[in-house]
Amino acid sequence: MHENPITRPIAELSADLRLGKLTSIDLLENALDRIAMLDRKLESFVCLAEDARAQAAAADREIAQGRWRGPLHGVPVAVKDNYLTADMPSRAGTDAPGVHFARQDSAVVAKLREAGAIIVGKTRMHEFAWGNVTPPSKNPWDLSRVPGGSSGGSGAVVAARIVPVAMGSDTGGSIRIPAALCGTVGLKPTFGRVSRAGIVPHSWSLDHAGPLSYTVADSVYALNAISGHDPKDPGSARTDVPDFTAALGQPITDLRVGICRNHMFGNNQPDVDAAIEAAIRFYRDVGAQLVEFELPILAFSLGAIFAIELSSSTAYHSRNLASGAVTGFTNDVRTLVEMGRLVTGPDYLKAEQLRRVLIDDLAKVFADVDVILGPTCPLTAWPIGEWTVRVGAQDESVLAASWRLTYPWNLAGLPAISLPCGFDSTGLPIGLQLASRPFDEMTLIRAADAYERGHGWKDMHPKL
Amino acid sequence: MNELEMLVEALGIQLEKERRSAVLAAFQPMAQEIAKLRSLDLTDVHPAVVFSPVPASQQG
Repeated sequence: MHENPITRPIAELSADLRLGKLTSIDLLENALDRIAMLDRKLESFVCLAEDARAQAAAADREIAQGRWRGPLHGVPVAVKDNYLTADMPSRAGTDAPGVHFARQDSAVVAKLREAGAIIVGKTRMHEFAWGNVTPPSKNPWDLSRVPGGSSGGSGAVVAARIVPVAMGSDTGGSIRIPAALCGTVGLKPTFGRVSRAGIVPHSWSLDHAGPLSYTVADSVYALNAISGHDPKDPGSARTDVPDFTAALGQPITDLRVGICRNHMFGNNQPDVDAAIEAAIRFYRDVGAQLVEFELPILAFSLGAIFAIELSSSTAYHSRNLASGAVTGFTNDVRTLVEMGRLVTGPDYLKAEQLRRVLIDDLAKVFADVDVILGPTCPLTAWPIGEWTVRVGAQDESVLAASWRLTYPWNLAGLPAISLPCGFDSTGLPIGLQLASRPFDEMTLIRAADAYERGHGWKDMHPKL
Repeated sequence: MNELEMLVEALGIQLEKERRSAVLAAFQPMAQEIAKLRSLDLTDVHPAVVFSPVPASQQG
């Protein structure tokens, strides 16, 4: 048997589980051993499921009886601490007294259980998903650096090969940023594709649920399991759910790759730009057509996401403001929640008007391209405690810089994926970001999977 | 008193003096971005969020 089976991708695990060459119990014990060994350094789990062994034993019984549920059956996965769970407490990253969440499964957790996944535990997140640092979690590639956020714990535990999939949520980049900084895959599906019912809200019209994983295929198995309409989520779409695995292993010679030369380029760390230009050359060399374009509206988009995110978060936390519970929040999150009251009604609506322009402008771009390519993050993982970093020609706030390239896809609600595309000169991972048309995850996956198969990045792991 | 401080007063936002300074200072760069947004003429653009008279239980 493989020394650390849990470090292998789901396709391999699933095949062995189904054939009886591997048991879910053995796989879970391997995950738990790695948690015991590594999480003292990473501090990325906040809770482990007491019933995990019972879940694994049940999966083994079912598989032995020929009742195989699919690729996730018997596979340990983790979920971010803002996904409500019946068997574990949820804190959404806060220690504030007086803030409580229901003990019931969120829609995604219920779907993962239905698919036979073993919910092994909950991962650390930046408090209320309002930040991209996730203290005190560490980046497995360099323990002195941040894992990103707000799904930083999920990024760290996947990068450390503890579980092949950990769920995250993404309001401005919170799946893709930790994926890029930790060297994993991170998939934000189209708004409406995956139910957010039972996920602690941050900003209703920007929040997305999705996986972080070892490989593109691993995210695809998770996406197959969690997609679909849910009347309990007002943003949920009544759209057909294809079998996303059909996009794996497909050619991309007919692909048209868009490159947005304003906003996405010109202000990134040099190693990031170099890795992305190499990725562009890969697509060109395999026969894809490159199409360069500009989106001038992006010059106004940061104010729009600030207006929507601040006002939404403050509306959600109005009870905590009124009760004084915000005084128990960390200082930075408390400040953000308090300042949302300064965003005016016209500001909010103007932001929603800008969103309409952005969506329509992107629709015109997608008449000529199938995916849009760029960096996920303009910088690699920064040192813990550092708030300013050199990006391009200037010193910039890491918080402002880190989500610059991801939030446009939240404003537009389009599917976007981050996958590893190299390392900087200090050995830190760099993320390649692809986005596609609404509900066209198939093309997104096809483009990402082809890039992944053409490189060896997914086989490079941190030495912990 | 600058525009933001006047807004805090007008909205009746209760913040201790120290908190008010911290919140306003942190909001300053965001306010600058929102000011850029305000400069756009989007008169003929309907917001992306569309009202629906259908009850929440029947939507989606």
